[in-house]
Amino acid sequence: MRFVAVCLLLLGVPGGSSNRPVVQVQTFLATTAVHPGSTVKVAVVARIVSRYHINDHKPSLNYLIPTQIIFRKTPSLKVEKVIYPRGELTKFAFLDSPISIYKGETRFGGILRVSRSLRPGTYKLPADFAYQACNDRACLAPAKVPFEITVRVVPTSVPLKSSNTEVFEKINFP
Amino acid sequence: MKKGKIVLGIFLGLVIAVSLFFVNQYWIAPATSIAAKATGEYPEAPDFSLTSLSGDKIDLKDYRGKVVLLDFWATWCGPCRIEIPGFIELQRKYRDQGFAVIGVSMDDGPQPVREFYNQFHMNYPVVMGSDRLGELYGGILGLPTSFIIGRDGRIYAKHVGTTDVSVFESEIRELLAAEPGHKVGNFQTAGYTAAKEIQVSTPAEVNSEVPGVDVAKLTPAEIKEFKAVLAKEHCTCGCGFTVLKCREVDPGCQTSLQEARDAYSKFSKSHHS
Repeated sequence: MRFVAVCLLLLGVPGGSSNRPVVQVQTFLATTAVHPGSTVKVAVVARIVSRYHINDHKPSLNYLIPTQIIFRKTPSLKVEKVIYPRGELTKFAFLDSPISIYKGETRFGGILRVSRSLRPGTYKLPADFAYQACNDRACLAPAKVPFEITVRVVPTSVPLKSSNTEVFEKINFP
Repeated sequence: MKKGKIVLGIFLGLVIAVSLFFVNQYWIAPATSIAAKATGEYPEAPDFSLTSLSGDKIDLKDYRGKVVLLDFWATWCGPCRIEIPGFIELQRKYRDQGFAVIGVSMDDGPQPVREFYNQFHMNYPVVMGSDRLGELYGGILGLPTSFIIGRDGRIYAKHVGTTDVSVFESEIRELLAAEPGHKVGNFQTAGYTAAKEIQVSTPAEVNSEVPGVDVAKLTPAEIKEFKAVLAKEHCTCGCGFTVLKCREVDPGCQTSLQEARDAYSKFSKSHHS
């Protein structure tokens, strides 16, 4: 169901529309480019508006809606694994016991595999960041933020450079 | 002498009566009217007809004469769940005095709602809501959102977010004391919404080509022209869309709603004055 997230001082909801989401998403790759047939680490950084939280990917209560990153399927690009961080246990007035949540800036990881047959060029992998946000008094409807990962594929003869190392430091890749 | 005193008494009585009449006409009544304008008119609660989880038909108009607490909620909403035991108790306590709770679940499907209903032994009807119903009630800004409707069918209070049950009880008691069918003159809401802030929409506005704006009085060519006007203005809510696009993708956006209505007012005046 769609609802409206409207700026109310009472709720602390920013903006005047649900089109200004409570979560904003930014993506990073661990290298400036990738080779065909290889993998690369991906970071998805979610910035959650102050005073709001979203549920852990594995929610503390079975009725809570989990946070999920859903990558679309493409023939040549595939995220093999999504790494969800451990949430923060927080107590709210409307619950008897603390629940695990994400708030503020939260980093998610992924391992992206590039098809061996992919020719050099720039490609995009679309995805959705699905979440359901609440503050300490009210909840907004489940929502999705569409985003995409831009991947530059180069021949194997071209050396790759590391990038965004500080972003990846806090993500627990296996 | 005695006769004279009687006549004098009658005369004085008439003078007092006429004086009171003019005092009311030119002083008290205008002051009351100003107060009424300042607080705004409490809007009528939009009608709906839905089937409850139990299979009963729930028509809001059948509740005219009762005080109704209309609660928009969802099973995945923690703040919503915590209010429900309080509503169950209010229903039990005030049912015989003409009070009723109606729950409107905004869950995607009835299964979790039925489980919750049974687990919590809910004693009032719950219907499955929709975007359209939410838009009729002015756009649901977050859950829980509850409306308190008087015996006359008007919305006297709106609460967004968890609200202490004592606030609801105070409002319900005040409205239960009102005569059926009569407007409550000086409703003292303990909540956050003044009458003028309780916005509802008509079916014509919800179903309009420009959601939220009733364009029925425009010709098809004028509607096309009006939509072109809205397609040139950007909504200032920060969505990045034009006003028209924002209305289409987010009918609950209060910013584009006001901007579209202001634009319609100007457009209508220029075309129909």
